[in-house]
Amino acid sequence: MRILVVDNGGQWTHREWRVLRDLGVETAIIPNTTPLAEIQADGLVLSGGAPRVGLSGEKMGRIGEYLDQATIPILGICAGHQFMAVHLGGAAGPSAIPEFGKTIIHIDDRNELFREVPDSIQAWESHNDEVTRVPPGFRALAHSENCRVQAMASDAKPLLGLQFHPEVEHTECGETIFENFVRLCERHGSH
Amino acid sequence: MFEPRPFIAEEIERLKAAIPGKAIIACSGGVDSTVAAVLTSRAIGERLLAVFIDTGYMRKGEPALVDGMLRRLGVQHRMVDASTEFSEGLRGVVDPEVKRKIIGERFIRVFEREARDFGATHLVQGTIAPDWIESGGGIRDTIKSHHNVGGLPAEMEVTLVEPLRDLYKDEVRKVARELGVEVADRQPFPGPGLAIRILGEATPEATAIVREACAIVEEELERAAAAGTMPLPWQYFATLLPVRSVGVQGDIRAYGYTVAVRAVESVDGMTANYAKIPHDVLERISSRITNTLKAKVNRVVYDVTDKPPGTIEWE
Repeated sequence: MRILVVDNGGQWTHREWRVLRDLGVETAIIPNTTPLAEIQADGLVLSGGAPRVGLSGEKMGRIGEYLDQATIPILGICAGHQFMAVHLGGAAGPSAIPEFGKTIIHIDDRNELFREVPDSIQAWESHNDEVTRVPPGFRALAHSENCRVQAMASDAKPLLGLQFHPEVEHTECGETIFENFVRLCERHGSH
Repeated sequence: MFEPRPFIAEEIERLKAAIPGKAIIACSGGVDSTVAAVLTSRAIGERLLAVFIDTGYMRKGEPALVDGMLRRLGVQHRMVDASTEFSEGLRGVVDPEVKRKIIGERFIRVFEREARDFGATHLVQGTIAPDWIESGGGIRDTIKSHHNVGGLPAEMEVTLVEPLRDLYKDEVRKVARELGVEVADRQPFPGPGLAIRILGEATPEATAIVREACAIVEEELERAAAAGTMPLPWQYFATLLPVRSVGVQGDIRAYGYTVAVRAVESVDGMTANYAKIPHDVLERISSRITNTLKAKVNRVVYDVTDKPPGTIEWE
């Protein structure tokens, strides 16, 4: 099981690598300019990053190509999740009330990503922008007081997005969420 | 999961291969650089010289403490007093990024001199993951330039070796415990030291004030933790703010500076929450600071900010 972390310049990209490594998954951090043809993986994590995706789509390398052409599961986190929304026909914009640090996430839709995760969890955030409209064929899975779309998933393809950061120590059940993503990649691969 | 023993074995081999000649290691006495020193010492023995630089921005009694520890660990070392060089470099400097870059550059110049004297071709540093992550570069934003990363000048006369690059503090501590390093559980202390615990210019006078305030915060929190009143926070110190406010001390008007007390809980330093210190402990800290520092500091505040949006240190 090999899941690569695509680096969008986030502060916690290396943490995403660390959590996967600690779960016993083969993993590495790759630049977001890596051509899809060079990627051998069972799943991808699109890391967070500094780019204001809600304002422009630059500095996100080739991840549009991954979203359009890859058949493996892809989990977008923060900027990765926002880019996924914008690229696939949804929308993102500056948050009316951004979130830094502690937020309570309420899970509204029981997706396999949230298996064994309670209905409400404390999560850590660091975002200036947010998804304002999920793409066609996606559904929103969770919200917080200040942010309507804290998580989303596609009905048809294995594409998921999280606004909050499951990879940091301060997010409850973060490791469980990653484990669920790994399980999702395993199931997908065996078809 | 991170396992210290295989890591230690592999790193020692890697260091042996990477350093054919002599090396010096920058050792502050903190857990990161001490672990790097012990690993390198095990790899190349007497071909390693550990150099402790007193920047003039160390904590109360720190140089003597570090000297003793390195002796006990059997690491060949040299204590260098570079306080004049550092304080001159920071004269008039107010911007935190400029401070960090100047400090990083001064460190390297001192190490280059020491390396030349010792005949070393390699410089070892205890740089860990948060250091290079927060220093940014490429598409990664610079949150702050860590002294051992962002401040390195373009031309360097020695080759840099960083055995702990991929590790976070909690992993370094595991290695430290395995190696028997006594500062394994000591709180993190920034390389730029007290210079970045002074907002604005880090003058000798401001340094003396914040050194005393830090000592008080450390003593009081360590005492309260030892008494079981509260858990010992991950990192805890005082910061001197350039904000003056009106007070009254001894029936006369006071117009002194402000100290912010900072204490956080964390695991890896990449996220943190402010420590919920009991009020009576905060009260003791506050009054000891203002009693000790008299007219210089007449107000103490407690920082109630998590990371993000703050960072642990103020600069």
